[in-house]
Amino acid sequence: MSNQATQLPRRRFLQSTVSAVGAAAMAPMFIPSSALGRDGAVAPSERVVVAGIGIGRRGGYDLGCFLQQPDVQFVAVADIKKKRQGEVKKIIDDNYGNGDCVTYRDFRDVLGRSDIDAVLIATGPNWHATAAMTAAKAGKDMYCEKPVTKNISQSLILAETMRRTGRVFQAGTQRRNLPHFAFACELARTGKLGKLKKVYAHPAGMQAMMSGWLVPETEPAKDDVDWDMYLGPAAWRPYNKKLLDGFNFEKGGGFVGAFNGGGVLEWGSHCVDLCQWAVDDCLPPVEYNAPKDGELVARYENGTELIFREKGWIPLGSCPVRFEGEDGWVEAGDSGKMVLSSPELLAGRTVDEIGGYPATFHVRDFLDCVKTRRQPKGNADAACNAHIACHAANIALYLDRQVKYDNTTHRFINDEQANRLRSEALREPWRL
Amino acid sequence: MYTTRQFTRSAVLLVTLIAVATTSARAFDGPDTSPAKEKELLAILRSDAPAAEKALACKHLAVHGSPAAVPDLAKLLPNPQLSSWARTSLEVIPGEAADQALLTASESLEGRLLVGMINSIGFRRNANAVESLTAKLQNSDADVASAAAVALGHIGNAAATKSLTAALATAPANVRSAVAEGCVLCAERLHSEGNAVAATKIYDQVRAADVPMQRIIEATRGAILARNQDGIPLLQEILQSTDKKLFQLALGTAREFPGSEIDKALAAELDNATPARAALIVQAMADRPDTVVLAAVVKAAGQGPTQVRISAIDALQRVGDDSCLSALLKIAVSDDADLATAAQQTLAVLPGQRVDAEIGVLLPTATGDTYKLLLQLVGQRRIDVVEDVLKALDHADQSVRSAALVALGETVSLGKLSVLVSQVIAPKHAEDAAIAQKALKAASVRMPDREACAAELAAALERSPSAAKSTLLEILSDVGGTKALQTLATAAKSSDDQLQDTSSRLLGKWNSVDAAPVLLDLAKTAPAEKYQVRALRGYIGVARKFAMPDKQRAEMCRNAINATRRPTERKLALDVLTLHPSVDGLKLAVNAMKVPTLKDDATAAALVIAQKVGGKGVDVSALMAAAGLDEVKLEIVKAQYGAGSTQKDVTAVLRKQARNTPVITLVSGSYNTSFGGDPSPGVVKQLSVEYRINGKDGKVSFPENALIILPMPK
Repeated sequence: MSNQATQLPRRRFLQSTVSAVGAAAMAPMFIPSSALGRDGAVAPSERVVVAGIGIGRRGGYDLGCFLQQPDVQFVAVADIKKKRQGEVKKIIDDNYGNGDCVTYRDFRDVLGRSDIDAVLIATGPNWHATAAMTAAKAGKDMYCEKPVTKNISQSLILAETMRRTGRVFQAGTQRRNLPHFAFACELARTGKLGKLKKVYAHPAGMQAMMSGWLVPETEPAKDDVDWDMYLGPAAWRPYNKKLLDGFNFEKGGGFVGAFNGGGVLEWGSHCVDLCQWAVDDCLPPVEYNAPKDGELVARYENGTELIFREKGWIPLGSCPVRFEGEDGWVEAGDSGKMVLSSPELLAGRTVDEIGGYPATFHVRDFLDCVKTRRQPKGNADAACNAHIACHAANIALYLDRQVKYDNTTHRFINDEQANRLRSEALREPWRL
Repeated sequence: MYTTRQFTRSAVLLVTLIAVATTSARAFDGPDTSPAKEKELLAILRSDAPAAEKALACKHLAVHGSPAAVPDLAKLLPNPQLSSWARTSLEVIPGEAADQALLTASESLEGRLLVGMINSIGFRRNANAVESLTAKLQNSDADVASAAAVALGHIGNAAATKSLTAALATAPANVRSAVAEGCVLCAERLHSEGNAVAATKIYDQVRAADVPMQRIIEATRGAILARNQDGIPLLQEILQSTDKKLFQLALGTAREFPGSEIDKALAAELDNATPARAALIVQAMADRPDTVVLAAVVKAAGQGPTQVRISAIDALQRVGDDSCLSALLKIAVSDDADLATAAQQTLAVLPGQRVDAEIGVLLPTATGDTYKLLLQLVGQRRIDVVEDVLKALDHADQSVRSAALVALGETVSLGKLSVLVSQVIAPKHAEDAAIAQKALKAASVRMPDREACAAELAAALERSPSAAKSTLLEILSDVGGTKALQTLATAAKSSDDQLQDTSSRLLGKWNSVDAAPVLLDLAKTAPAEKYQVRALRGYIGVARKFAMPDKQRAEMCRNAINATRRPTERKLALDVLTLHPSVDGLKLAVNAMKVPTLKDDATAAALVIAQKVGGKGVDVSALMAAAGLDEVKLEIVKAQYGAGSTQKDVTAVLRKQARNTPVITLVSGSYNTSFGGDPSPGVVKQLSVEYRINGKDGKVSFPENALIILPMPK
């Protein structure tokens, strides 16, 4: 199908567009603040007390979103880097005009505080799942950056743990609360594109990203950088400053020979997640083919294809997705823009009207759910399915052949090698 | 949100999770692993290879290892650096040998390494390890005992369950939480296997134990769900609990509880709960759309504490229907601003097949605030009742007319667009002009056939007074397309200065490549020079902003350079070439070097483009040599970055980035970033460079963040 917008036969637009209710669904819906007690000055009892774990580059952005919320009291930060503890504390203290933010090296000290309701986990990907599940078992709700898990096993355990512990989990897949992506997914989910045939995700590089075993360097003092805690559940390797970038450390998933799976997981946790939403958050694809000509084609049980595609995107910014149905298509990216096969799909609105980038929506969704106990848009089940799709694609990529996945047994069918890549031991003493 | 469907899936997931984690005694279920590869990897483990190689070999053995690899992997288990690398393989290699290796190691290791062994035993669900793990519940190291408890929970057979439930009463306080976690895991397994009675018993034991609140929460959730419909009283009990955590658990568990009886129980709780809690219970009710007691939500929306009413009104966005319309309309025009706002928001999206039709029926006879509200809803819900809305344009109340105009902006079809055009060209009431313009824009930009829409607007342009012409041109610009572009191009060449001004401004920010020829033409022929300059800048902007083939972009830049003698715009065109470096662009820059007034800028552009293109592996040496820009031998003698007496030596950085051209490209456009920090915050800094090109000394300074192009020394 062409990338160029084509004119479909015109009908009276009022008869063909999304219903009022459907059109409204494109915008994140939040419960009125007056129903949840966050009008004006918020009483201490109504505040959500939050702490940060591993607040770096991405986490700093999230932190800003949290600090904008009047019903949030950010009280503590944990980081294995002493310098960063001070930097983040300053941001928080400056925001409140006091010096109350408490710093910790070990995040378990944060989890031990009974006054803290929720945590923002923005460590490196290596820690996400372990920290999230440790937090859940300590009774904390959490907003956890992505990629959330390193393998299929972790994905399943994450969903199960959140259910068992009754915690509210929001993956940092903020595009689920960005209006234009939500609108595009809504078109796909509600049949406005016709029977869905293909959903496309941009993997941003189908190759391994190394977080390897580099030349040993002198380890810093533990008070400055706690290397053992930095590695956490990751298999041991000697200190090397180049590995000390938590944002990128083990970003790819850490299961193949090169230790990592690359962009399929890093970007996939965003754009495959959107594809999953477009297919109504069904179970992940059941078949993943070897990559060919820059594309890796997976297939859902109902025949819809999930295509990881490197090239051929309309320039709409990073992390693009495209949904193609029998009657139309839509493509959207990080620019906040969309291109559609027909203006009729816009239901009388313009792309500019639908777009917008207040990423605080995702944090607001999380906080409302902490109060109401609803499941947020980026809940653990959704994250689990999207991550399984990425991990399974990575396995097909690594083995360079087709693999077939059984969503009932959560095993690859007659495929010993693939099955062995579903998990990885955590370094002692960590467990899920 | 949790649904009953998800609850069912929860049980399924647990079973599948076991499948994921279970490798013990499982036979190979597909193509065997590669014996040759395994042999090669084992040779690494047996050698004096560095630890890094052994680590990677372990990783590969996770795919290729057979039970034959177990002895060599087991030797690494006591190694603090390689232990978990080895466990990654041992956790997934099928057969008893791997089970036994982990178990054997667990008998001799201590501390963290022992915890690792226990975790892996738990992962493999080795039923033969229950006795050993049970003994470790008594270990003096609480971490070891806790790991054993959770591992027993993962194994979850009768023996493990017995050990854990016994330990619940006897374990030390710092181990009891893990024991409870293990017990809950066992209970979940029993429940998923259909033994709800046994599961309930364990859940209740944990609830009664002296364990942390989170364990109580987990057990309580399980106790409610395992009891099925008999769990409703317990759910009600915790819904009334004074403990906030338990109340929150009730809200979550209510959403995943099966059946419809729970909906009645939730509805009943509304009358007993505090307003703050009732507001949350209503939200939980609405998350069960298939079985919600709608009458209770409607009742809560209509009376009682404001906080609960607002929550209920909001909930009706998800579960309301036609039957709620009348009540919501009353609230939406009531004196309480918060309630009215909430109702208006819900009405805009209220589900129900007959809601739109009902609003259409009510509109003609409505009066006052209700009339205005209904007009707003017509617009928000896009209800096709244009004829009735048109009548409101004659209403005496301006706010009603405004509501009608907004509604028309959202609902008119192309055939009725003239109604709004008329309101813009000749409004019946002057004070309606601004809202009419917004309405016309809203209607125009959503027309499916934008060419037809543009034709309608263009036709109106001819009969419009001067002030309205500008408005219509603005709207045409928003509509876009061929007709709109042609209309603006014509207006830009009219004799009316205001139309020239408006049109050239709008064309200058046109958002597609289609505008390029029009802009280039205007750049040469517009009636006034200022509009020619504006058009040329717009043309260069198109070349800068949009994706296009390199040849086309270079051609546009060539046209821009040829269309003017103004150095500013010519420099802008060269900037486009450096921003999108290509061989075609390089050729143009080299050619531009022949123009005396452009020579310096074109030379700089050529050097930058050559470096960027060359960096992608394209050989441009012949082109550069022909332009007299041969490769040079560059040496950085000394480089300093800073202000005044505060200078940072950045010689090493520049030397690292220097190539065989006078251009040095840093890793970032920011000097501070490239040079590892800001040596003098808040002060404008300079970069001073002493260098040697082809043996001749040179010295130059650059303002902060300037492009570094070293002049050729004389």
